[in-house]
Amino acid sequence: MRMLATFEKRERLRHIGHLDILRAMQRALRRSGLPAAYSQGFNPHILLTFASALSVGASGECEIMEVTLTEEVTPEAFLAAMNKALPPELPLTGARVLEDRHPAAMALVKAARYRIVPLEHMEQLAAALPGYLSQEEIQAERKTKSGVKPCDIRPLIYELEAREDGLHCLLALTETESCKPNMLMETLCAYAGVPVPRLRLIRVGLLGQDAQGQLVPLETL
Amino acid sequence: MSTLNQWNEQIEAMLERVQKAPRYTGGEMNSVVKPWESVALHYGFCFPDTYEVGMSHLGMKILYGLVNQEPDQVCERFFMPWTDMKALMEAEGVPLFSLESRMPLYAFDMIGFTLQYEMSYTNILAMLRLGKVTVRACERGRDEPVVVAGGPCAFNPEPLADFIDAFMIGDGEEVTLEVTAAVRDWKPTGEPRETLLKKLAGIRGVYVPSLYDVAYAEDGTVASIRPNAPEAPERVARCVVTDLNTAYYPRSFPVPYTEVVFDRIMLEIMRGCTRGCRFCQAGMIYRPVRERSLETLRSLARDLERATGYEEMSLSSLSSGDYSCLPELIRTLMRDLNKEHVGISLPSLRIDSVLKESLEETQKMRKTSLTFAPEAGTQRLRDVINKGVTEQDLMEKVTDAFMGGWSSVKLYFMIGLPTETYEDLDGIADLAQKVVRCYFAVPKDKRAKGLRVTVSASSFVPKPVTPFQWEGQDTQESLKAKQAYLREKLRAVKGVNFNYHTPELSYLEACFSRGDRRLGRVLEAAVDRGCILDGWSDLFNFETWMEAFRDAGLDPDWYAYRRCGQDELLPWEVVDSGIDRRFLWREYERAQQARTTRDCRQGCNGCGLNRWKGVCALADAGHV
Repeated sequence: MRMLATFEKRERLRHIGHLDILRAMQRALRRSGLPAAYSQGFNPHILLTFASALSVGASGECEIMEVTLTEEVTPEAFLAAMNKALPPELPLTGARVLEDRHPAAMALVKAARYRIVPLEHMEQLAAALPGYLSQEEIQAERKTKSGVKPCDIRPLIYELEAREDGLHCLLALTETESCKPNMLMETLCAYAGVPVPRLRLIRVGLLGQDAQGQLVPLETL
Repeated sequence: MSTLNQWNEQIEAMLERVQKAPRYTGGEMNSVVKPWESVALHYGFCFPDTYEVGMSHLGMKILYGLVNQEPDQVCERFFMPWTDMKALMEAEGVPLFSLESRMPLYAFDMIGFTLQYEMSYTNILAMLRLGKVTVRACERGRDEPVVVAGGPCAFNPEPLADFIDAFMIGDGEEVTLEVTAAVRDWKPTGEPRETLLKKLAGIRGVYVPSLYDVAYAEDGTVASIRPNAPEAPERVARCVVTDLNTAYYPRSFPVPYTEVVFDRIMLEIMRGCTRGCRFCQAGMIYRPVRERSLETLRSLARDLERATGYEEMSLSSLSSGDYSCLPELIRTLMRDLNKEHVGISLPSLRIDSVLKESLEETQKMRKTSLTFAPEAGTQRLRDVINKGVTEQDLMEKVTDAFMGGWSSVKLYFMIGLPTETYEDLDGIADLAQKVVRCYFAVPKDKRAKGLRVTVSASSFVPKPVTPFQWEGQDTQESLKAKQAYLREKLRAVKGVNFNYHTPELSYLEACFSRGDRRLGRVLEAAVDRGCILDGWSDLFNFETWMEAFRDAGLDPDWYAYRRCGQDELLPWEVVDSGIDRRFLWREYERAQQARTTRDCRQGCNGCGLNRWKGVCALADAGHV
């Protein structure tokens, strides 16, 4: 059976990379005693995937993972067993059983909601938002394996507003089109005429599209 | 978050700017956080190297669990920050902080360093400074932390005598809690530091260097080391845990997020070694050999697997192949752990252990490279160092390994051993060549592809409490010439990689390994000049070290190269390791004659341990 679960990667662990968190989660599964399924082959590993890699330096409030189990387990039992096996900074916050035909979580991701907390220049950035967003086109640099490519991120910024606790935004996140928070910040800071400040980056949640084409939290799909 | 300290925001900001921030973040599974005010004794365990190295260390895991088991005590971890982090901390005045609660080093009641390696000594001084703890023991205030140290290098505590309040010598499982209890009880009394130190000196295994006066003879050698207080014993006998089955061993330990050097469960199956290799300090100071029972190991393995979730376990000891029922142990563990997908690896595999069966068992799980340590290239030299291994042994085991599907083999040698000649170096090249031939002698369809033979040559460092403790080190010039010679010889052998250590580093190891108290001045000068993390070759600067020796007015050649006299008092002889110096001298003489000494499982060789009744079953059985 397949289980989808949401988890937090708290601030203290923000410097831990994606693969290290993945391994920590695999080890937690092993500690939990839950009947995790293993891959076949010479070096069997636990069948566990994350919907989306969270970059080094970011914390996450509602990250999504999917795991295959060899026996029936209730979401409640799954949550309880995992949270006993996880450190306090990496708790599971929810779980639900997926039907066999349910597409892989990874394939459903369309966008991500972030909170960006600049440690400096917040006022200038907030003041620059309306003008920044009114641009028809925002040229940013996307770093790929094959080098730096220019791309227009304006259509990829679905929402962006300044609030008391930072910049809240909803950005496209698919395999072909995505706007990384650093691309947003680099262009916004350039527009506002301030250097890119040190910041805290929190991914608030991942979103997918429901039947009506609306962006909704991925874990509810 | 209530336990996080006042520097928390600054630390968080620094973490954005350093390489490898996970070295400093803590929060690992099974790390222990207790409310600061809830305990009476705060113990800061300090590993004087980086997180990746320290978290691979078994002793730390044992002591961490041991102290944290006590409800009124807490043990938190400290590591040496890398240069980028250290510079930021210094610039902003942020003191060295613990991984768990981020409390500063100076706030702990007691701090303990583990001494694994001479070249980490400057890190100890640097960590004390960074933790705002007075570096010299004699200048520390009443309420500053009590600074202790233990581990193998504590068998010559003298180079660190100026900085450490008390050394704990030998097995730490019992003495640590005696010392933490003494510190806890003394703390609220208001009595002076000296009162505590004298009390500590009365505990077996504890050496308090300030309670001893050292006098030097005109030629620079030690004339005497005498207690200056009645509480201090003439000689400090090391601690020995007699039964590992009843000794503390953790059933859980912190699991790092990032990969560390040894990222797996370490199951210590035995302590000590009966072989008696003459260069090997561990083989002397961990005597006698003590095994954990199959049942104990089985229970520990299961609990550790459950508590850590690790996918690999290594059986660790000085000579795992000598464990009396190794095949049965491996079979049992594999049966228990197989369905949990845990691989078992055997480090420090000795080539004369009859292990064919075990090899086949481990191979089912994982096929990493196999390590063999012939140590010397000719039978004559192996006899000198009492490495009871023959060429035939090596060839049989290597062939077994190749037949079993391994294609990667590491061969460890030492150069600069006493009595070594160029014939012995030729022997190293010959052995490597023969190993390559063994591989090609295995039919093509039966061997794995991609032969890799790694020949590693370290430079011999004379160590205290070994038969070679009197011996001087080979000169740097000579070692360099030998390395160049071997490099040239091995270049001709297909499939062989040659590794060697920089002789300058081995030279400094030799200085500190057999050094005396005066070297404290060198360590201070070296740290002043910025020598830290010298075990990392990119940070090691030999010339700066030589300047530090000049600052201190001491001659490193004298320390590294000098051959000591038979009757000379050696700086570390204030420690009684249990091994009789007459035994060591006898072994030293036999070495000169290339005469071997039997494994002491075959009969007692009279190392002196029988003076301590009930410690060595082999000696007590009267095999002499």
